[in-house]
Amino acid sequence: MSRRFIVEPRGLAPWWLKLLIPIGSVIAAMIIGAVFLAITGNDWVEVYRKMADAAFGSGRGFAETLVSATPLILTGVAAAIAFKMLVWNIGGEGQLIFGAIVAAGVGIWLAESTPQVIAIVAVVIAGAIGGAFWASLAAVPRVYLGTNEIITTLMLNFIALNLMQYLVLGSSSPWRDPEATQFPQGRPIVESGRIPEFFHRLDWGLFIAIGVAVIAWFVISKTRSGFEYRIVGDSFDAARYAGIKVPRKVLGTFLASGAAAGLAGSILVAGILGKMDPRSLDLGLGFTGIIVAALARLNPIAIIPVAILMGALNNAGPALQSIGVPSATVQILQGAILLFAVAGEFLISNRIHRPDPAAGEAKSEPEAQAA
Amino acid sequence: MNDSVLMLTLMAGIGLGTPLVFGTVGEILTERSGILNLGVQGMMLFGAVAGFWATFVSGSLWLGVLAALVAGAGLSVIHAFNAVTLRVSQIVSGLALTIFGTGIAVYIGKAGSDPLIGQPSKAVFEPIFPETLIDLPIVGPLIFGHDALVYLSWLIVAAASYYLFHTRPGLTVRAVGEDPASAEAAGINVSSVRYIHVMLGGALAGLGGAYFSLALVPSWQDNPIGQAGWISIALVILASWRPWRALWVAYLFGIAGRLNFTFQTLEINVPATLLDMLPFLLAIIAMIALTSGKRARFLGAPAALGIPYYREER
Repeated sequence: MSRRFIVEPRGLAPWWLKLLIPIGSVIAAMIIGAVFLAITGNDWVEVYRKMADAAFGSGRGFAETLVSATPLILTGVAAAIAFKMLVWNIGGEGQLIFGAIVAAGVGIWLAESTPQVIAIVAVVIAGAIGGAFWASLAAVPRVYLGTNEIITTLMLNFIALNLMQYLVLGSSSPWRDPEATQFPQGRPIVESGRIPEFFHRLDWGLFIAIGVAVIAWFVISKTRSGFEYRIVGDSFDAARYAGIKVPRKVLGTFLASGAAAGLAGSILVAGILGKMDPRSLDLGLGFTGIIVAALARLNPIAIIPVAILMGALNNAGPALQSIGVPSATVQILQGAILLFAVAGEFLISNRIHRPDPAAGEAKSEPEAQAA
Repeated sequence: MNDSVLMLTLMAGIGLGTPLVFGTVGEILTERSGILNLGVQGMMLFGAVAGFWATFVSGSLWLGVLAALVAGAGLSVIHAFNAVTLRVSQIVSGLALTIFGTGIAVYIGKAGSDPLIGQPSKAVFEPIFPETLIDLPIVGPLIFGHDALVYLSWLIVAAASYYLFHTRPGLTVRAVGEDPASAEAAGINVSSVRYIHVMLGGALAGLGGAYFSLALVPSWQDNPIGQAGWISIALVILASWRPWRALWVAYLFGIAGRLNFTFQTLEINVPATLLDMLPFLLAIIAMIALTSGKRARFLGAPAALGIPYYREER
């Protein structure tokens, strides 16, 4: 019995492969996208040029790209820190929305005279707490009852989405602007709670997001707690033998993940939106965060450039519509990138090689007999 | 009687429930073989546009159905390759499939000089029995008042249930979903069983999508299916991985989807957005109450669901 290829698990992949897979995924996805565009009669070179131009071509365009990237850094960190510990929190969407609900609630409730620093901190922190709370609805059953978190976090996304729509579009709650009678919208938060802008529509929230990514990296790779975290991520059993309290670690990670996603919600509310706007918060930012995390291979620092790339794609969508190309091109590209990135993990965790004619046969012979 | 609020609600519930039946039974077949596919929403939407397009071009409803089946199954092969051959994360792969499928569907709907978007369907599934039968009190509409795909869905439910629980290949599927290593030792090809059932799930999800674009809302919009794909994933749990229960819970949620209209006629004021939460809320409660720890096995969750299978580890 001779096989043409031998696949075997490997320990550590070389660094260049870890860099090559994400870059290769983006290129492969762009080829798929180009084929799609060409089949449907679009000039793909022109489309990609237009996208690059919209996202990076001008100071204003790049500022918009960073505006789009800000929440993606946070939802990316949220997904990455959970996935690394095999906590499948795919509820970033819901945690972001609930974070926005709580943040907007605090921002509306605060008095106009609240000092700016206090108001901003209160609104931003409120979002993180809201996100952590929403995550706890899945985290507590997971840790104490063993309930699979994949489905619960997924379902909680839609509950949060409907709750947000109910608060603004379906009721006369405090979140709804009483002055907007014709077309329901969110009530603006206090002016002192708004994060100031510094370049076009770009605000300081970007640096909060980058700060969270750096802190996540530091805690994971430089602290004792992060060391324990990595052990739990590698093997629950090994962690248990090492005396690490696994349930508590899992719960902490899950809540931190939810807090990061919630922070994305509050930075949107306190930043560019200024209110809880159901139409702007329903853009799949949580799911895009999962793409970001996967492409960054769950590395918090790598999340920053990857989020900027995804932000650029999101930002290019409207520009495509202006030249008559469906903005769904962006979604095709993002979906394809994620499909390639996840498939690429196979190459990172496995080694494929041709069998060595001499040693390979000798090795596979007894195997074949044993089987 | 046939025009009463109750009857109209039941009939609408069956209509809205039918795509959920297809999606849920499909995902049950996939999950029974041990693979979790979170790409249902994407496959359904892709099936919806493929079915709509094929009928639009050919004028034939059944070619539309065929296109939807092929589209759903075709998209699902990507997931099968990732999950079965490469054994990478099924969760991330499934989500990627949803994003990709949604993108393709929306793109196709808008592409070209004369896009599909806003166009009415060239043909629509309509009740197949004569008026005299449908006009019978109560049983008339409930039994005879449906289009061909509803009867097909009943057939598929019965066939899937019989297949899973009363045939040898069905036993094989369940064995693969419970304990792939033992199944392999018994001479079963785990990979091909899983490929086939991921594709069956994809085909049925595609068909569910086509039910929207060719029967429920027979015109093309960006997203004619709402969140039916995600709801189907929730219903698999509420149906505890059994096809007949899938039929009942799908109709239950079809009725729930219609309730907001019913409440309006009865002048009861319940916000629509809160009713929309119901399937997701119930799925979570069921998940926590029924599937925590050891009870998950009792309920019927396949033991090897979502776990990559390495033949080498045997």
